[in-house]
Amino acid sequence: MKRTRVVASGVATSLTLALALSACAPADEGGSGDSAGTPEAGDITLWLAGSDTNDDLRKYLVDTFAEENPGSTLTIEEQDWTDLVTKLTTALPDAANTPDVVEIGNTQAPTFTYAGAFREISPELYEELGGDKLLPSFVEAGSIDETKYALPYYYGSRYMFYRKDIWSKAGLEVPTTLAEFGDSVKKLKTDKRSGFAIGGQDWRNGISWVFANGGELAVKDGDQWTSTLSDPSTVKGLEQWQDVFEGASNLPPTQKDEAYWDFLNDGSEGEAPSGATIMAPAWARWSIGDLTKGDDGKEVRDGMADDSRFDIFALPGVDGGVAPVFAGGSNVAVSAKSQHPELSENLLRIIYSDEYQTMLAENGLGPANADFNKIMTVDAEGNPNKFGEVTVETAVASKLVPAAPGWAAVEGASVYEELFQKIAEGGDVTALAKEYDAKITPMLNGQAG
Amino acid sequence: MTTTTPAGPTAPTAQATASTPPSPIAIRRRRTPATPYLLLIPATLILLVGLGYPVYWQVVTSLQQFGMMQQFGAPPTFVGLDNYARIFTDDRLWAVVGRSIVFCLVNAFLTVAIGLGLALLMRAVHGAVRIVMQVVLLLAWATPLVAAVTVFRWLFDYRTGVVNWLLVQIGLEGYDGYAWLAQPLTFFFVATLVIVWMSVPFVAMSLYAGLTQVSEEVLEAARLDGARPGQILWHILLPLVRPVLAIVLLLQIIWDLRVFAQIRLLQDAGAPISETNLLGNFIYELGIGSQDFAGAAAVSIFVLLLTVLLAAPYVRSLMKEDAV
Repeated sequence: MKRTRVVASGVATSLTLALALSACAPADEGGSGDSAGTPEAGDITLWLAGSDTNDDLRKYLVDTFAEENPGSTLTIEEQDWTDLVTKLTTALPDAANTPDVVEIGNTQAPTFTYAGAFREISPELYEELGGDKLLPSFVEAGSIDETKYALPYYYGSRYMFYRKDIWSKAGLEVPTTLAEFGDSVKKLKTDKRSGFAIGGQDWRNGISWVFANGGELAVKDGDQWTSTLSDPSTVKGLEQWQDVFEGASNLPPTQKDEAYWDFLNDGSEGEAPSGATIMAPAWARWSIGDLTKGDDGKEVRDGMADDSRFDIFALPGVDGGVAPVFAGGSNVAVSAKSQHPELSENLLRIIYSDEYQTMLAENGLGPANADFNKIMTVDAEGNPNKFGEVTVETAVASKLVPAAPGWAAVEGASVYEELFQKIAEGGDVTALAKEYDAKITPMLNGQAG
Repeated sequence: MTTTTPAGPTAPTAQATASTPPSPIAIRRRRTPATPYLLLIPATLILLVGLGYPVYWQVVTSLQQFGMMQQFGAPPTFVGLDNYARIFTDDRLWAVVGRSIVFCLVNAFLTVAIGLGLALLMRAVHGAVRIVMQVVLLLAWATPLVAAVTVFRWLFDYRTGVVNWLLVQIGLEGYDGYAWLAQPLTFFFVATLVIVWMSVPFVAMSLYAGLTQVSEEVLEAARLDGARPGQILWHILLPLVRPVLAIVLLLQIIWDLRVFAQIRLLQDAGAPISETNLLGNFIYELGIGSQDFAGAAAVSIFVLLLTVLLAAPYVRSLMKEDAV
């Protein structure tokens, strides 16, 4: 999941809100005609989350679908990330209103997969769409044991953006270990500048320290998930994170998902930046740099054109190499209640086609199929593209949050935000880990409360 | 919004008595024309469909085990009062309930007090000033909620907010980068500002309308008797606008008990979430956030009862007044 910043968009909320949801009782689908041959023509709907899939990609999907399925059309509807879960919860069980194919955040996929919201992707179809070449951690997020329901759509990963001029002035090099990173950003902190600008609640960045130390957030034993925050490796990672936050960031412990790129840019009147380093998804590049005029005459950032001041590196691991960071991105699945399952599967065939995977990679979205990663690492003229290279490098090492049925509930109740805030406030990590293990384990297994 | 006029209730009675002078019992004779009942049908239907059906569902769901699996077609099992037992033994609920009631009462009384002050001021000032005040109040009232909360978020932003800048300018260096929303107490201070700011106009306008109904003769008589302004306010104006005052206070209590979006939007700016949840947010977090629809339904029913409980004394006293 990229951003779950839940800006409750002025929802009119009567006390009956929760109930309005369950009011649409799912209608049982009558026996679907498994007739072979060309599927009946129809109009199918694809829900895309956010605007990452740009207009060119959308147009390609619509045109190609119409071409390959005479008489049928594809309608694309864009949903907001912030209320995607709510919309999916109400729309998917309703055969009359369900979108046929949906994009869903990778950390939200397990909950809907376990609830039976998605149509099974047969082993034959899975092979046809790419099989083992598809990004394994994302495939796992959309599977129950060996049965596949949701497949990877695209990935993005996060890495460090930094002010090279500030680092050089302080005599610091790109760090090679996680400990060295911590020491460097602590040295760069002043009253007016964060060495590493990060909010305390920002667990999606913070868990990289857990993963880097070999820790896990939760493990599955048999059918049961157990939260493993108290595991010594996890505690070690959390303590290291606490140390970095306290020593290097000026932000309040309650902040999360800030526009961190603003911290790296010079102020509007040339003031020094208020941060020396940030951690952000790859697309943050286009919000960083000096102001310039875009094609349409509006002021835009130049995408870090001045590489003597702006640069990137992958978060280093504990013993060097690259730290496993949290992988953002999304999955795609066919609704179990879709009235046009064959047409929907035809759409999947287009999404996983060589042409579309190439287009994704060219647009900077990590392609689901590993064969197309290499396209990311060169620019249009064939020169090496450092942004693409670091994206692929960090993505290969990246990890996902536990694919537990109740993970969306943990996110929905902001449990990790709260835990990381308390750690950032200087709480005792071992005690907090124990407290939150007790809280999270029942939630992971889908037991409410 | 009117004050009770003494002539109102008595007029029909007088008329009825006049039309049938010989037997007083005839007053009670009932004619049952169909028209009023027919006219009631649309409103009743809308209430039943719009309110009755969701409430029915809410009650049913609160007695079932209903989560994500049930939403996707698994048959829900009847669990009796288990959800209520689970919710009532949850410490989180009572913390939220206590916080919500305190927050609701503080905000409601504060809103009504400030609203009353503004209404009295409007009564006292010159016509042109009053019109300016009314326009300003209406504008504040007409501001969309999301826009208003966003403005307050920017005002209190820890990095770029005007409030911190002003405080630093007047010498309070400690407020440089002060995060207002990071502590529950200051968080609720900001939330109260937003909510009071948004609801004062309605109260002020209603009370002002009530005050215009107070006849000048009564006040003049009081002044001739040597009543001081404070005494006039306390013993004449307030008793006369009491019905309006009671109604707006009741409405404020109900509205402030179910405040949701303001808190949610402020939380998004970075706040300790579980320590700043009010009832509405708690239900949202339970139902929409954690897909525990049954638990959320149980809490909703509880809030419904709580609202009735808080409002009951007022409704009773209002009905008594109507009956007089």
